[in-house]
Amino acid sequence: MGGFRYEVITEYWPLFMEGAKMTIQITIICVVLGVILGMALGMARLADARHAPWRQILKYCVRWPVTVYVSFFRGTPLFVQILLMQFAILPFFIHPTEGLLISGDLAREIRSTYGAMLAGIIAITLNAGAYLSEVFRAGIQSLDKGQMEAARSVGMTYWQAMFHIILPQAFRRMLPPLGNNAIAILKDSSLVSAIGLAELAYAARTVAGASARYWEPYITISLMYWVMTLALAYLVKKMEEHLGKGDDNR
Amino acid sequence: MPFKKLLWAVCAAAALTASAGVSAEEYVVGTGATYRPFEYETPQKELVGFDVDLMRAIAKAEGFDVKFINTPWEGIFATVDKGDRDIIMSGITITDKRREAVDFSKPYFLAHQLILTDKNTKIEKLADLKKGNVAVVSGSAGDVAASEAFGKASTRIRRFDNTPLALEELNQGGVVAAIGDVGVLAFYARNNPDKHFNMTRDPNFKEQYFGIAVKKGNKALAEKINAGLDKVVKSGEYNKIYQKWFGTDAPKLPD
Repeated sequence: MGGFRYEVITEYWPLFMEGAKMTIQITIICVVLGVILGMALGMARLADARHAPWRQILKYCVRWPVTVYVSFFRGTPLFVQILLMQFAILPFFIHPTEGLLISGDLAREIRSTYGAMLAGIIAITLNAGAYLSEVFRAGIQSLDKGQMEAARSVGMTYWQAMFHIILPQAFRRMLPPLGNNAIAILKDSSLVSAIGLAELAYAARTVAGASARYWEPYITISLMYWVMTLALAYLVKKMEEHLGKGDDNR
Repeated sequence: MPFKKLLWAVCAAAALTASAGVSAEEYVVGTGATYRPFEYETPQKELVGFDVDLMRAIAKAEGFDVKFINTPWEGIFATVDKGDRDIIMSGITITDKRREAVDFSKPYFLAHQLILTDKNTKIEKLADLKKGNVAVVSGSAGDVAASEAFGKASTRIRRFDNTPLALEELNQGGVVAAIGDVGVLAFYARNNPDKHFNMTRDPNFKEQYFGIAVKKGNKALAEKINAGLDKVVKSGEYNKIYQKWFGTDAPKLPD
């Protein structure tokens, strides 16, 4: 094996630093957007009404499409979703000649500077939103029905009850699985290296390709991912403690 | 007791004759089948290409068998180092850095790096590319050329796992140029005439040769392959294979 050759890492250190920065950026953006999307989708899955026509409208136009969406994004590999996003879906909307949303020189600019990052963030956000919708649904459903009944009986609307009573309580219950999903997003970001985005795993693959050494780069990024994961887990733990302040024995 | 000894002797003799009658040595060849026209997979999951035909010809000339296994480019040097493959032949350019990791046969193909640019970008050399990114295959000779021009840790270099991904990125406009072996990139440009790609050879791009790699220290196998290659060139089989895949006569190979 020839010992641990530090030089291969120090040669490419700027790429590792750029990569770590990109990984953290992607993780923060995808976690925030994913939580918002997950919250919307989770509530959509629970949308119901007592009387027609709202009952049918909610069932077929809200609950059913969301169920299909969640099924698709949980049912296909994230790797495939990233490649699809980069080479098929995004070019459909942003293309110099035939883009549906943006075309011309702006499209060319966006695609060359941000193309891979955009594709990666969108794919991971949509994927995370599907998983997080189930987390939110579990959190909301775990609360006693009495909470919603009490809120409505003091005159709150459905949305007021949701945002002031239900979601704050549900959030505390959702923190452990939310933390899990955030950590998963952090590590899933490594898949975006397949479309050439300069994040952490990409730096390791570049070094391995150039030097044919596999120990040094991969152990290095394993340690870096581990440190980032520890930081994220610590953050979640602190949030749990803050929300659990009124409990006994804390 | 004598009967047992007789039985033993008969079994030993049978085993010896059986192993003597077994067919010739079989070597496992690793090749990354995303490199048309050197190696690629047909819809019937057959591995075909210039490299495949040449290796089969060399094996026939030297009297050994070869079995091809599709091996991703990313870890291909590790597979021959660890013994998962006996030989790797995947359009591998012979470089001094790679000579430290594996042993090469004699050169079997003359090539050079080519820059493929989109129709709006016309350059004479790589350094002319002031803005925009380039796509290369990670760890390839194109990667080396790009790293020399832009710097190893430059984020202008977009590295991909294999050539089709890198070329698709050029196709989609995510990069303005792709750098790779002339054999593969020129083939791609010819097959996509509607895209009007420009082909440029940077004056710094020297002539390079492909080699067949074996585990470092395995001189015996490298010599076998060299002997087979010499026979194939002398018999004219090499020229025939070259004409089949490239349509012209083969240039002379160095010794």
